[in-house]
Amino acid sequence: MAIQQAYTARNGGHSELAVSVQSQDGFMLGTFDAMASPCEILIETADKQLARHITQLACNEAKRIEYKYSRYRTDSVISAINSSHGKPVAIDEETFRLLSFANTCFQLSEGMFDITSGVLGKVWHFDGSDRLPSQSDIDALLMFIGWQQVELTAGSVALPAGVQLDVGGIGKEYAVDRVATLLLEQAPEVSVVVNFGGDIQVTRRRMNDEPWYIGIENPLKDEQGETLVKIFQGGLATSGDARRYLLHEGKRYSHILNPKTGYPIEEPPRSVTVAADSCTQAGLLATLAMLQGKGAEDFLASQGLTYWVYR
Amino acid sequence: MQLTNKGSVATALAGAACALLGTPAAQAEEDMLKDWKFDTAILYYGETDRVSLVEGVINASKTNDDDSLFNVKLVIDTLTGASANGAVAQPYAQTFSRPSGKDGYVVNAGDTPLDDTFRDTRVQVSSSWMQPFADTWRATGAVNVSTEYDYLSLGLSGLLEKDLFMRNTTLSAGLSFQFDSIDPVGGTPDALTSMLTPTYIGDDNDEGEDEFEWDDDYEEGENKTGSESKTTTDLIVGVTQVINRRMLMQFNYGLSVVDGYMTDPYKLVSVVDGAGMTQDVIYEDRPDSRTKHSFFWQTKYALDSGVVDVSYRFATDDWEIDSHTIDSRFRFNLGDNNYIQPHLRYYQQSAAEFYRPFLNQNDPMPMYASADYRVGEMTAYTVGLKYGHKMENGHEWAVRAEYYQQDPKNAGFDEPGVLADLDLYPSVKAVILQFNYHF
Repeated sequence: MAIQQAYTARNGGHSELAVSVQSQDGFMLGTFDAMASPCEILIETADKQLARHITQLACNEAKRIEYKYSRYRTDSVISAINSSHGKPVAIDEETFRLLSFANTCFQLSEGMFDITSGVLGKVWHFDGSDRLPSQSDIDALLMFIGWQQVELTAGSVALPAGVQLDVGGIGKEYAVDRVATLLLEQAPEVSVVVNFGGDIQVTRRRMNDEPWYIGIENPLKDEQGETLVKIFQGGLATSGDARRYLLHEGKRYSHILNPKTGYPIEEPPRSVTVAADSCTQAGLLATLAMLQGKGAEDFLASQGLTYWVYR
Repeated sequence: MQLTNKGSVATALAGAACALLGTPAAQAEEDMLKDWKFDTAILYYGETDRVSLVEGVINASKTNDDDSLFNVKLVIDTLTGASANGAVAQPYAQTFSRPSGKDGYVVNAGDTPLDDTFRDTRVQVSSSWMQPFADTWRATGAVNVSTEYDYLSLGLSGLLEKDLFMRNTTLSAGLSFQFDSIDPVGGTPDALTSMLTPTYIGDDNDEGEDEFEWDDDYEEGENKTGSESKTTTDLIVGVTQVINRRMLMQFNYGLSVVDGYMTDPYKLVSVVDGAGMTQDVIYEDRPDSRTKHSFFWQTKYALDSGVVDVSYRFATDDWEIDSHTIDSRFRFNLGDNNYIQPHLRYYQQSAAEFYRPFLNQNDPMPMYASADYRVGEMTAYTVGLKYGHKMENGHEWAVRAEYYQQDPKNAGFDEPGVLADLDLYPSVKAVILQFNYHF
């Protein structure tokens, strides 16, 4: 019954979305699902009503961003851009900022972080099988990859026909930071952890200066146990998913693709977690580290960051 | 891809992320003052019929953007009242001289001799800086100065910490040096020499004060010299381990080496005859070196609505004082803004090898002797309760009330004659009241 109601509420669009709030040791835990991830809001309060209010705000904002930027929703801004067949599409300020950020990432990574590379997903299926795409399949897609082909202005974006945008690589981290900013405005005295499937932002320090303890992705957790991270403030993001790979003739292919060759990056870590001021910054640094393959640790060390790498 | 411009990618992304989120970079500066935290406390410690102490503490700390921490602390306390001078009770009234050598006091028959001239103010200032570096390291440097009327203490310390294994383990190593100098009122008495005592005349003068008369050949400070000092070197190594989301465990080992004057210049030892009657009262004397090893284990466990904190310490030294301390605090949260915290502590120590509740005049004079109950065999316990409240504005206050009792024990000494009927090991009972305010 509850599921049915939640479904109805979600489709109603304007109704409140389904969230749940429970009391934990020393804080309240609000949960909901968004962006294909379990979303958790840890709130340093014993006031359940306040916690529910905060969780609801978080859920609404997460859903707003998901609906706006999901390429799987036909009514999203990204879908409108992707189906423009080469014509310029008017964009609002938020979309311009997001695409500008993608542009900065493209420049900083010398083309390795590219939000037009999502089309490779048509031929690569990281389902644990041994099915590799053919070289001709990949070559056919490479011509549609390349952010430098995109024309971005403050009010519009134009893509050549066949080029598609996928902001999945930054959208979740962006949503985490947006939600954290909103919660800090709405509840400036309360320390809140926004955790969307491992991408995390703390809004402010806790009252008693204690850290939050957060479990982070550890592909070796069966052998090593869960990795707990102390976080006082700032963001934390993880790149990598040990369950998404291909195995062909004894060689493991990771799901991190090189947009220039269309092939998986050689020898990337299984997972990289980075701590930084914001979740978005942390997320990009984790992704850039993955793209360095063997050099991930050297890259992270050279940036003077706090990080955790599993191979 | 080789991102060659080292260090700059993270910085550039930080700026880009700020632009994306529309957060002005100036926001951090506005919060600067908020990063100062203040702890203030006032404490009263009162022993029944003995010393009482009032102490005020102001502690300010600031966390910087790079997570470095600056801390400065001021403690002022004043001590008044009476303290056991070490001599044994007698079936008759006893007369002692004040430490200044200018005056005397009389102790009633059967009473434990207490010197009631204790009156001192201590001012202590300490400061520390903790700096994280190279991602998983932290270094802390600290200095402290403490002065009293007759005492000066200077200290310097350093601590290095390293996080390992995904920051679930922290190793620490610290070193500290302390220099103390004491300039006792009336001078430092020569070890194991007799206290020169005036004769009690009476209190029938105009002012109603006790009056004393010295021998004609008495010279003020005749068996006393100037100031003394000691140095203390402490080494500590430890490991802290996050066991799981709820549990934290810590082990420490400490080595402490003290060199110099550790005698209490105000403490005495009675010399008695076979009938337990005092024949002489001499100044105590303790060895001038001490090496102590201590082992500490602590576990904190977070409950659904509270924290259990249990620790055990074992210490052993070459004075043959072995001690065991069990300390436990249980914090229970009463809703979001209130908590109560019962406290139980038990302490036990064996007597120093030179501890003598009194000396027998027929026995050869030992090299060292002290009748100070604090180096004798004893047990002590503390029972307390703390209540804390967090206010709407985020400030917190707490009150703590504790009862503390020290029970000195006879470490196997025979009590000749009259001493058998006297209480040589009276308990010391104290209350502790504290009020804290944190903002």
